[in-house]
Amino acid sequence: MAPQQLKMPDKTKKNTMKTEIKQLTVTYRENDHQLLALDRVDLQLLPGRITALVGESGSGKTTLGKALLGLLPPAATVDGQILLGEDEITALDETARNRLRWRRAAMVPQNGAAALNPAYRLLDQVAEPLRRQPGVKRREAEEHALAVLLELGLAREQARRYPHERSGGQLQRGLLAMALILDPPLLILDEPTAALDSLSKNHLAQLFRRLAARQKSLLLITHDLALTRQIADQAAVIYLGRIMEYLPAAQLDRARHPYTVALYRSFPGMDAVRDLGGIRGDAFYRLLHAHPAAGTKMACGVAEAGEPGHNHQHLVTPTSNHPEEHEPPGTNKDGHAPADGCLFAPRCTQAEEACRREAPPLNRPRGLEADQPALDQDQEHQLRCRRGGIIDLLCCRGISKSYGPLTALHPVDLELRAGEVCCLVGESGSGKTTLAMLAAGALEPDRGEVRFAGRKLAAWRHRDPLGLATGIGIIHQQPAEAVSHRFTVFEIVAEPLRIQRPDLDAAALEQRVLTSLAEVRLATQPDFLRRYPHQLNLGAIQRLCLARALIQRPRRTGGRRAHQRLGSQRPGQGAQVAAGITD
Amino acid sequence: MIQSSPTATGRQPLYAYLLAALVMIGLSYGLPLLLPGDYIEAVYGSSHVVLDAEQEAQLRDELGDREGFTAYLWGLVTLDWGHSLALQTPVFRLVLAALPWTLLLLGTAHLLALALGFIAGVEAAWRRGGRLEKAGVGGATILQGVPEIGSGAPLLLLFAYHLGWFPAGGATTAYAELSGGPWLLDLLHHLALPLLTLVLAYLPGNFLLTRAGMVMILGSNYLETARAKGLPPLRVRYVHAARNALLPVLTRFGLRLAFMVTGALVVETIFAYPGLGTLLFTAIGSRDLPVIQAVVLLAALLILAINLGLALLHRRLDPRIGHAL
Amino acid sequence: MPSELNHTRNATGPGSRPGAGVHGAQRAPARDPWLTSGLLLLLLLAGLGLLGPLLTPHAPHDMSFMPLSPPSAQHWLGVNDGGMDIFSELVHSLRNTLLFGLLAGVCGLLLGAAGGLAAAWYGGWLDQLLMRLADIILALPAILVLILLAAFFRLDPAWLALTLAALTWPNSAKVIRAQALSLKNRLHLQVARQMGASGGYLLRRHLLPELFPLYLVTLAAKIRMAVFMEASLAFLGLFDPARKSLGMMISYALKYYYLEIWPYWLLPPIICLTLLIMGTTFLAVSLEKFFDPRLREW
Repeated sequence: MAPQQLKMPDKTKKNTMKTEIKQLTVTYRENDHQLLALDRVDLQLLPGRITALVGESGSGKTTLGKALLGLLPPAATVDGQILLGEDEITALDETARNRLRWRRAAMVPQNGAAALNPAYRLLDQVAEPLRRQPGVKRREAEEHALAVLLELGLAREQARRYPHERSGGQLQRGLLAMALILDPPLLILDEPTAALDSLSKNHLAQLFRRLAARQKSLLLITHDLALTRQIADQAAVIYLGRIMEYLPAAQLDRARHPYTVALYRSFPGMDAVRDLGGIRGDAFYRLLHAHPAAGTKMACGVAEAGEPGHNHQHLVTPTSNHPEEHEPPGTNKDGHAPADGCLFAPRCTQAEEACRREAPPLNRPRGLEADQPALDQDQEHQLRCRRGGIIDLLCCRGISKSYGPLTALHPVDLELRAGEVCCLVGESGSGKTTLAMLAAGALEPDRGEVRFAGRKLAAWRHRDPLGLATGIGIIHQQPAEAVSHRFTVFEIVAEPLRIQRPDLDAAALEQRVLTSLAEVRLATQPDFLRRYPHQLNLGAIQRLCLARALIQRPRRTGGRRAHQRLGSQRPGQGAQVAAGITD
Repeated sequence: MIQSSPTATGRQPLYAYLLAALVMIGLSYGLPLLLPGDYIEAVYGSSHVVLDAEQEAQLRDELGDREGFTAYLWGLVTLDWGHSLALQTPVFRLVLAALPWTLLLLGTAHLLALALGFIAGVEAAWRRGGRLEKAGVGGATILQGVPEIGSGAPLLLLFAYHLGWFPAGGATTAYAELSGGPWLLDLLHHLALPLLTLVLAYLPGNFLLTRAGMVMILGSNYLETARAKGLPPLRVRYVHAARNALLPVLTRFGLRLAFMVTGALVVETIFAYPGLGTLLFTAIGSRDLPVIQAVVLLAALLILAINLGLALLHRRLDPRIGHAL
Repeated sequence: MPSELNHTRNATGPGSRPGAGVHGAQRAPARDPWLTSGLLLLLLLAGLGLLGPLLTPHAPHDMSFMPLSPPSAQHWLGVNDGGMDIFSELVHSLRNTLLFGLLAGVCGLLLGAAGGLAAAWYGGWLDQLLMRLADIILALPAILVLILLAAFFRLDPAWLALTLAALTWPNSAKVIRAQALSLKNRLHLQVARQMGASGGYLLRRHLLPELFPLYLVTLAAKIRMAVFMEASLAFLGLFDPARKSLGMMISYALKYYYLEIWPYWLLPPIICLTLLIMGTTFLAVSLEKFFDPRLREW
């Protein structure tokens, strides 16, 4: 499909505009609480640029899109500014706002079929904004609408059909034509390619680039990072209403923030080798001044943070009616995260105590410090992470091992970043176990060096073996042999803590054991805790080992064939917590 | 039955109306045959009017060929609907005199109730959560529980008998020989109370259903699209939203038409309005079976015809059904 | 009951914001003011209809009193033109109306449930036959058929109630059929089927009880309509004049509007009838709200 020039109402005048979002905060009032949807968001949308707003559902993306058009419901409170050119839409009254809508900024809404009125023909709906313009005749409006539709590949007879008679791809193009009918300088694309086949997707992607070439600003709201990387210039990654990272879309594969990295990896097919890194747990919602109504449960992850101007803030999972499954891994035993921390800390794989205390600012990452010459707009990169983005947890450089004349492992490099899962695949005797044991510090390499969290493993192991064990856990190949047959389930799981934290009292110990068992989806009933290994099946023992490894909260779990057996039952969970070695 | 039925029963196939019409004609023809004695005896024998021999002979002469179904049908088509003995008139003439008044009363009542209920429902949904809307919903729900007898009789007593503001019966002032403007005023004066009673009965349902439909539509994606397009608020509300809320209201109207006829009969009787209801009431009082037969059949066929028309209109208004046919 | 209602309504609507499902407390049916007031009204009237005869020493058909006498300690609401005690007339009318409504409602529901479940469960030609029949009956104006029957045959009220049931079952049959169809494919029914449960068992232990809330809605709506029909038919004079009924009382009392005693004669049956229909309306409206998410108030 050769790029064609799109016909617009006034082709001579370049209709461009700069959009600025300054410190935008949106809260929704609900019955007895407020939901914080956007939190002090700054963003600029420039002509000729496609800016992608990326995040999970519920992160506030769509709220931002609606705020740009002044379409938030009455229950929403808006602070901060949105400037569409010179006009501050946040300060205008409804009538004035209505005059700006579709002329300054138009939206291609999510969900094509539902976004069109079922009672009117596609053409009527596309032409409608133009027909409302003073001095435009019905015929002219329809002719123009037909022309725009034709540019997008919708023929005249298709345009005269009702929405339910057209396919999703055609409706999406119809919606785009509708957005273009008044030639607005800003286009908001809300998940424009969701539920489209790849052909239609590519077609639309090309269209978007052509629009950007015509000096339009485009805001692409999406969770599709492949599309973002394909067509966007900048990407703003948003989590719980805060921008966590802002970076050139082309550098998404080199993103720094653990959240961006995890989002990026959760796209199958993007990076086949490393795509197993998920994000722990469910997304939260931020509720302010929440007082749980009588009868409703709030037994979920609750973080109280001293946001400026807000006294209480609660992070709530969407499915909190199953509290036992949604104890967020980063919270302490009361289910409260320490106040004032990073929003992502409860789900972050590399969060430290300090992350739960200090809210990080949005800064340029290390290596791009402020003393560097002012960056080109295209290269701007900002990051909201105390630790400067994802860290290298394990770094093996040229490690090798021989047993006498037998070379078990030729020199190998291996890097593992926080939250990553790495699978070692090979036949028996190929050196998988050797490598794993070397990486875990259970063996000493002949040559080369292993660093864990930046520290040399060899030295660490000598000076502080206990400290190392809290960082690296091993799940062994024969689980049944890895547990003592004299121990009960409780004792097996509690053992590492008994060993490492003799200071813990019995209640705290039990709490940790139960949490750990729940994390691997094992029962927590007292009679299960009193069972012995021989009363359990192999799968349960495997999980028991996993629970035992997890109870130390290690940053990395070196597992041998662990996730292989687990994987058959709970692939996702096994993959998220384990680093597996498999044939 | 009250509101939710359209979900399951909105899609009546067209042939059902035709078959139902046949059933009604069949009943009207067949039921007298089940009475003891022959047709004349059955239909006229149980009447409160006693036939003398001469009248009976005359009737037998007239209706001698009315025994077969085809003959009965032919009689229907040629407007030969029998003879009212109580009133000594051909049934067709009686019905013809009464029908316009019923059409006037019911037509205006339904139009008013539809228009007012619809607009009120749209506006209430638009202002949902407000005090006015809550009061409207509460009031309409209560009004829905008041049958026509319950509102009509007190209205008659208060405004006609006690205060004397409105006439207590009839459709026009008898022997007044009015014409033009005064005639119209007189007509409306007589129409007011029965009309008010019927509108009070029909409006709440329309209001509640419109409001419920609108509340759903107001949350829909396409309405947000319409708002985003910067259209004038009235256009968003009526052209985009209300248009789609109209369909269930029309469906309900068709479904409830037969049910609502009951109330109309009662209202006409209470206010002695000279329509089909009053005709039927007097005929029941004197067991004038030919009149009852004719009024019932005519009313049934009218209802079925209106329903058929509505079904066709529905198919035009909702493209999703129209093209699926 | 609330637990049975759960799967028929969405916890959160499609347009609801995230978080609404977390804290959007669903109003329990028991706290719906319409339900409570509807139940109260019906209990009150049913009590009056049942216990009323104990309160008055006069038989409803006893014509031995002074016609048109005003209320007194003897005759709480006075005496009508025929010399009958109005209060005892009222109580018996209420009872007759309630019985008619219950009979027509319950029979209509039974027919509707049987038709709907049979159509959903067996499908095929039976489904086709029942639903086509339902279409035709739905199109028939029930009241006109009743008038015709009552006028020609002077039918007994019980027969009229049964006829009414026969004419109104399709409505509920269609709703029940639709629900039963969706239920039929739920997992727990499939599981039960895999366990070797017979059709009868599934119908008895799963389908019938799970549709319980639907029966309540149907019953309330049907009784409402039957009461309304009975009053109208009686008002039009289609019942045996000896049978006491609210509609007939109103019809007679209206003829004597000019007498001093009309407030005691005319108003009580009007009020009773209105409250009766109001009570069933509130009940139906309230139950429907919990059954049909589209009608719920947000």
